[in-house]
Amino acid sequence: MLSCRGLAHIASDYIDDELGTVNKLSVRMHLLMCPHCRTFMGNLRASAALLEKHSAQTLSADYLQRIDREIERALSNDNSRG
Amino acid sequence: MTNTSSPEGEIALIELLKKGDQAAYKHAVRLYTPGMLAVARFYHGNANAEDVVQDCWVTVIDAINKFEGRAGLKTWLHRIVANRAKNRLRTTNREVSTDFSETLDPELDSRYGSSGRWLKPPTLKTDESADQLLENDALKECLNQHLSRLPEAQRSALVLYETHHHKSDDICNILDISHSNLRVLIHRARQKIFLMVEHFQETGEC
Ligand SMILES: [Zn+2]
Repeated sequence: MLSCRGLAHIASDYIDDELGTVNKLSVRMHLLMCPHCRTFMGNLRASAALLEKHSAQTLSADYLQRIDREIERALSNDNSRG
Repeated sequence: MTNTSSPEGEIALIELLKKGDQAAYKHAVRLYTPGMLAVARFYHGNANAEDVVQDCWVTVIDAINKFEGRAGLKTWLHRIVANRAKNRLRTTNREVSTDFSETLDPELDSRYGSSGRWLKPPTLKTDESADQLLENDALKECLNQHLSRLPEAQRSALVLYETHHHKSDDICNILDISHSNLRVLIHRARQKIFLMVEHFQETGEC
């Protein structure tokens, strides 16, 4: 029998469909019987979704323009070489 | 501008890049730089990542002519960054340190009893969508803080996996880590976020 802790070990693999059939079935069985782990699984899914939505780093306009200028320079060098 | 979410859109963009079209480059820079920075940060941390990516864009101008489209533009760009970052690492002799030994976050682990059952069950309410949750500025700030405290390697792999929707195989290839290490890394990061949001909902504090 899969314990609650055991389920926690493989919960992300379950979410991302990385488990084999046997493990997948034992997770499903456990979730049917255990409301706490159902909550936990929902919470972990929500955390994954949160990470997906949230990009911690927004790019500075300065930096992007610096790259634009570098590319512009390199392109005109290429053209002048023919 | 070109719709790069479709394969046809990407092919069109690549053709424009090969022709040296400046508007196409501007578009591509905005589309692909966040992911490229995530790759560079995995190897270099914040300090040199921006330089590495900027250098890469300049090399792309010549390299794009040899691009055959087998891998997809995003994956190809990320490999260029990874190679450059690794080379630079060799010259500065900086080791990439990562700890992948434990699957469970110690804090989460302590919430199960010796029988393996929950001692302190989860209380997080998730009736709000991620979008709704992120409308809360205090929570967003807290999330920022936690993400910035994650080891650089964890954060990069995470950004590539969750935000840039790379396939696991690609990430392992680009970051030079094993599939099982990547799985641990993603799992650990999700647990951290879960614990953080739960704490935030319970106490109203980060
Ligand atoms: Zn359970």
